[in-house]
Amino acid sequence: MFRLQSSKVLAVEMTGDAVKAKNGSMVAYDGEMAFKKLTGGGDGLRGMVTRRLTGEQMTVMEVKGRGTCWFADRASEINLVTLRGEKLYVESSNLLAADGGLRTGTEFTGLRGASQGNGLFTTTVEGSGQAAIMSDGPAVVLRVGPQYPLTVDPGAYVAHQGNLRQSFQSGVTFRTLLGEGGGEAFQIRFEGDGLVYVQPSERNTIAGDV
Amino acid sequence: MGFREINSKMVEATVAPGQRLFSQRGAMLAYQGDVSFTPNMAGGQGGIMSMIGRRVADEDAPLMTVEGSGTVLFGHGGHHIQVINLSGDTLCVEADRLLAFEGTLEQGTVFLGAQGGVMGMVRGQVSGQGLFTTSLKGHGAVAVMAHGGVFEIPITPQRPVHVDPQAYVAHHGEVRNRLSTALGWRDMVGRGSGEAFQLELSGSGAVYVQASEEKL
Repeated sequence: MFRLQSSKVLAVEMTGDAVKAKNGSMVAYDGEMAFKKLTGGGDGLRGMVTRRLTGEQMTVMEVKGRGTCWFADRASEINLVTLRGEKLYVESSNLLAADGGLRTGTEFTGLRGASQGNGLFTTTVEGSGQAAIMSDGPAVVLRVGPQYPLTVDPGAYVAHQGNLRQSFQSGVTFRTLLGEGGGEAFQIRFEGDGLVYVQPSERNTIAGDV
Repeated sequence: MGFREINSKMVEATVAPGQRLFSQRGAMLAYQGDVSFTPNMAGGQGGIMSMIGRRVADEDAPLMTVEGSGTVLFGHGGHHIQVINLSGDTLCVEADRLLAFEGTLEQGTVFLGAQGGVMGMVRGQVSGQGLFTTSLKGHGAVAVMAHGGVFEIPITPQRPVHVDPQAYVAHHGEVRNRLSTALGWRDMVGRGSGEAFQLELSGSGAVYVQASEEKL
């Protein structure tokens, strides 16, 4: 069971089951725990090769045992996500922990990935269980409905889940080319039905400079 | 007396005649009333022997004495501050994490090697704390700094707690600490889980852990 000890500390109660977590993110535990590094993100040999090729490398460890384990990483804010069979798309650097039963993989994101400064691929988490994602500052969850598409700054995007289509928007005009842009030249537009996690901070992106 | 938390990163202390405070040098943000700050050459309490002890132990964080009557605001580097109230027990904390403490507390230096012999020394080196740590004993309040806020984990004889040495902030009570290693062949070939060294705390008391693996 995942529980937030504070906004920056995740507490996981374990009764012999396993949890995948970012390497080295354990801050404390009681009871009996064993830590084991999962090579190649724990997706098996094929997943490992894919991760190497795509640059979506994750250093993940498997935590197994009985007791409470606390996780935190560089005082980042933590958000809990409950998955019931749907797929969560998150950057590998923003994924803190996931239930052992969840499958992780990589997926091509296209131009959006490049604009976020995170590469062309993203990590997916699929199945039923809980996951914890990190954001720089407390993240807001925005709902996207069929009538309400959402446009997000690529640098502030953290994760999304549900049945969403994403497209890349650019507002590049002759002003941008003259160096007079508003700093919001690129956006990602989400359409469909789902949730988008947005953080109150912007990563350094190519899009942020124009 | 004591410290009042203004927000998570600032504390207010009231000083009255006859009641002294010690604080990290330069940690004063603002004050009201007639308050004087004197740099404390000895780096804390005790006589010349304690001063030499701290120098030798490298636990001589630059402190200043705060005296007079009025209120003082303390804060440092935007770090989160945790106020810990002691009632007779001992708090062990690294000197550079110490923001301010009341003069009623008795300050001392603890040699970590004394706990666990050679492993105790290794522990001090691994956790980056050195071989010595500062102890505060008695009745009073202490303000401790941490990166990203702290949370408290109780330690009972039945439930020892393991802490990442980088995330450890302080502990109080009757607690024994020991460096436990989970080194395996995986660590030797560079495939470790990053959790090879842990601080095992057992006994009865509490440990304060910060939400980050960064040192101050």
